[in-house]
Amino acid sequence: MLEGGNYALYCLGLAFVFGIMRIINMAHGEFLVLSGYIAYWLLVKWGFNPLLSLPIAAVIAAGASFLSYRVFLQRIRTTPELNTLILTFGIGIFLSNLYLQLWSADIRSIGVDWMEKPLMFSGIYISFGEIITFTISFIGVLALHSFLRHTKIGKAIRITAIDRDAATLAGINVERVDLLAFSIGGLLAGLGGPLLGMLSFVSPGTGLHITVKAFILTVLAGVGSIRGLIAAGMILGIGEAMTVTFVSSSYRELFGFTLFLVILLVRPSGLFGKRI
Amino acid sequence: MKSFLPLQVSEKKIAIITLVVVLALPFVLSFNPYYLSIFISALILGSVSLAWNLLAGVCGQVSFGHAAFFGIGAYASALLVMKATWNPFLAMVGAGVLGVLGALIIGIPAFRLRGPYFALSILGFAEVMKLLTLNLTRLTEGSKGIFNIPSLPLIKLGGMTFDFYISRTTNYYLAAVLMFAIYLSIYLIRHSNIGLAMSAVHGDEETASGIGVPVFKTKVIALMVSAFCTALMGAFYAHYIHFLNPDSAFDGFWSVMPIVGSLFGGIGTLIGPSIGALVITGLDEFLFKRFFETGHKLFFGLLLAVVIVWAPVGLLGKWVRKR
Repeated sequence: MLEGGNYALYCLGLAFVFGIMRIINMAHGEFLVLSGYIAYWLLVKWGFNPLLSLPIAAVIAAGASFLSYRVFLQRIRTTPELNTLILTFGIGIFLSNLYLQLWSADIRSIGVDWMEKPLMFSGIYISFGEIITFTISFIGVLALHSFLRHTKIGKAIRITAIDRDAATLAGINVERVDLLAFSIGGLLAGLGGPLLGMLSFVSPGTGLHITVKAFILTVLAGVGSIRGLIAAGMILGIGEAMTVTFVSSSYRELFGFTLFLVILLVRPSGLFGKRI
Repeated sequence: MKSFLPLQVSEKKIAIITLVVVLALPFVLSFNPYYLSIFISALILGSVSLAWNLLAGVCGQVSFGHAAFFGIGAYASALLVMKATWNPFLAMVGAGVLGVLGALIIGIPAFRLRGPYFALSILGFAEVMKLLTLNLTRLTEGSKGIFNIPSLPLIKLGGMTFDFYISRTTNYYLAAVLMFAIYLSIYLIRHSNIGLAMSAVHGDEETASGIGVPVFKTKVIALMVSAFCTALMGAFYAHYIHFLNPDSAFDGFWSVMPIVGSLFGGIGTLIGPSIGALVITGLDEFLFKRFFETGHKLFFGLLLAVVIVWAPVGLLGKWVRKR
């Protein structure tokens, strides 16, 4: 169940960018993995506490997505959706192979002792790290939600999402808004990376896997439903846990995908789908 | 768009030139087995790129998971021959049919929605197929893989014997024949009514459905044809390489490279993707791998990004006259 909360964090960036810009960022998982690697190296080289390295890693991931938008995406923003999809896919391939070249295919796990310390709640053991991740994930969702609702920039982003032309007429610089939104997407991905590294591991191959999972969760929650992500994440987490318990751990991924296909067939707008 | 070459060559002429080059290549390479094996995989890749391009370039539906069909085809053909003792040629067709089945499983739910849903669903589909192959150990031997997959049988045609077990050259020419057969089928489809429908769907789905094009059906048909060709090549791969495991048959390579080849060669043309795939394989083998041994694929990502932003019509797109 807590794991479901983590899923929500891993997919927040992708869901946000898709909901706002209608761009699926295929490089989302790679940004996330990037921040995981950074947290890992900060810990290994300088003994940084992973929680302190979290903002640093997130900002670097945001920088990477800022650059990708400025250099590539901005130029083809108005062309068909297909192009941005292939473009971000290309960026993802580039990044994952760059990691492979620089840091080899080894899996890296950020091990911190006090994180793994178990806590007991009425007979259930939960590691401290899982609770922290869940809390961060929850705060992230709420913060994003209120940022979109209550701040001026947030409102500008939402208006741009609904109607670009009207936003331009209202004096909003939509180019800037897009750049900002994409960077925020990178920042959110960057929050997930170090936590992923702590709870399991990061490797060059993890990124694409995360992207797929994030997309499945986004569809499950309903595009544009940020708060639905937590619930959808929990459903996925519970379903996977049950698959592991009752069927086999090797079929764990199958549950999410089957659920995804069923949702596409039965309720394409997702479980909690409505517009932002 | 201004072309950088003054002349415009027709699609047909380029196809013929490609055919001549492909047929002559083994002589140029003086039948060196190592180079031949590189270009056999290039031809397989070229065929898959053609199939991918029918879906993406003609019908406008990007797929990030063609490895699913490739792997289905490879495993289906290998298993049909080894467990059900089918004739390998028949098994290759059977593999294609199973590929079509896979296309239906993923296409029907995913094409109900517009936008990126299909592209990502099929990526997940490829992952799930790999997972199933890994875990259905009684059928597929799981991660151990299948060894000793039989070659295609001897063909005696007049006085000539085609031996697929010993001769690389024979395999090379069969791959070439398959590639051009796929090209011709796609050419014919493109210039038929259903091809026009695909093109209309690519242009503007709403307008297309407004003038009575069955959008959903058209997309599914494009996917079915594409999946059939891809699975067929997967089957050929299985009999050529004699060994399969989930990592090789469902390798992301088979999903990524057709995209790179198609974009590089020219997504708007029909023959371009195969040329792109041939050139890219050559570049990869003789150039990229010299730079970065482990991460050489990063060039493909970079190439994708650069082509789509600065040269969306691709290498050939600029000087191929659409016909």
